Amino acid sequence: MDSWVRFSAQSQARERLCRAAQYACSLLGHALQRRGASPDLQKQIQQLESHLSLGRKLLRLGNSADALESAKRAVHLSDVVLRFCITVSHLNRALYFACDNVLWAGKSGLAPRVDQEKWTQRSFRYYLFSLIMNLSRDAYEIRLLMEQESSACNRRLKGSAGGVPGGLETGGPGGPGSPGRGLPQLALKFRLQVLLLARVLRGHPPLLLDVVRNACDLFIPLDKLGLCRCGPGIVGLCGLVSSILSLLTLIYPWLRLKP
Amino acid sequence: MDTFIRFANQTQGRDRLFRATQYTCMLLRYLLEPKADKDVLMKLKKLESSVSTGRKWFRLGNVVHAVQATEQSIHATDLVPRFCLTLANLNRVVYFICDTVLWVKNVGLASGINKDKWQMWAARHYYYFLLLSLARDLYEISLQMAQVTHERAKGGKSSSGDPLGHSVADEMEWLQSFLLLFRSLKRHPPLLLDTVKNFCDILIPLDQLGIYKTNAGVIGFGGLVSSVAGIITVVYPHMKLKTC
Repeated sequence: MDSWVRFSAQSQARERLCRAAQYACSLLGHALQRRGASPDLQKQIQQLESHLSLGRKLLRLGNSADALESAKRAVHLSDVVLRFCITVSHLNRALYFACDNVLWAGKSGLAPRVDQEKWTQRSFRYYLFSLIMNLSRDAYEIRLLMEQESSACNRRLKGSAGGVPGGLETGGPGGPGSPGRGLPQLALKFRLQVLLLARVLRGHPPLLLDVVRNACDLFIPLDKLGLCRCGPGIVGLCGLVSSILSLLTLIYPWLRLKP
Repeated sequence: MDTFIRFANQTQGRDRLFRATQYTCMLLRYLLEPKADKDVLMKLKKLESSVSTGRKWFRLGNVVHAVQATEQSIHATDLVPRFCLTLANLNRVVYFICDTVLWVKNVGLASGINKDKWQMWAARHYYYFLLLSLARDLYEISLQMAQVTHERAKGGKSSSGDPLGHSVADEMEWLQSFLLLFRSLKRHPPLLLDTVKNFCDILIPLDQLGIYKTNAGVIGFGGLVSSVAGIITVVYPHMKLKTC
């Protein structure tokens, strides 16, 4: 009981719970539609989903300020690439929340002349840019960690076996004059890179969580902007998975990727 | 900015801010009704109702908070606060259950719910919660007043005999009691804040239950004052009245 009280005392936690519920409704609605459930039940699920969506917009009022503060903090990061990616991501998030606030004003009747379609497209565009920046940051972190891991492996191999010619980077011996051995060579190199990637991600759960979350989230704006129509089922599933993962980072703060 | 973000990151902080907005809209509608444009009044009404509906999302799951508060109040040291707070929190639990049922009806998950009946139950239990909280506040105020009187007596400030006659003596006594009350509340700001909050809040169920009908202006003003008091307790946690 105590943990629920502490958890629900954070407004972000409640918003994430509503998000998970909203995408669960979307997924459920799609599943019910495919199985030919009663139109009454489908309408109830749709109504709950739209209530959740509007409720979340209210819960998010004021998140622009939070995103701007995060952008201000990110400007002081030492690494140039991280500084750029994280700052631009937060700025796009701030703009996304600002568009979301305009949509709330329109839906709640305060500004009835708001063009819902235009502002929805605008908000998803900023959301997409923010996710692309997040994924770029993740790719950069992965690259750094893979380089570190690979040079650590090389050092260990050199230390134990007196050195392996070529090392992991070049993937073993292979001369320029052997085109017949090119493709298997490439396949081996690719396999080694994949294994290295898996090792890096297994050793850094916050990074793995962040990559999966951003990748799942990416499907939402891609579908809504018409760039990659995946259907409501996939969008619902991806939204639900990413909401659960972000709830995990709220329950276990060590799972959150820093900075 | 940092303070605002820390404040807004707490569910209770955001809820109090939205509550203040909701009752400000109610107050403004009452004040502007004779003179303002119908459009402005309609927008204020829409803002008020969408904030009120949205606030239900902040209250979902608060049954658990109220049960925890009941458990804590059972361990209060003094008998009167223990009794008052435990009963008050039990009523709060029932209020949140009624509120959840009303939410289920509102989002369309269950259609067979009698909204008016559940709204009356929710208002009644909220009223009992506030009444018991005020009883506890009055008890604490009487304790503070007794303490102040005792300290003044110990300090040697004895009240001299009144040479001017009985009627003036009565007025002096009334004024002295009032000053004593004022002094007691001044040295215990959390108690003052809690009393003001409960007193302003009780106007809402009194009106809903028809016990003491006021108007939207009084309710709006009372709701706004109690929301601001609630915001103060979130921003300055030491201003919150402890159970002890």
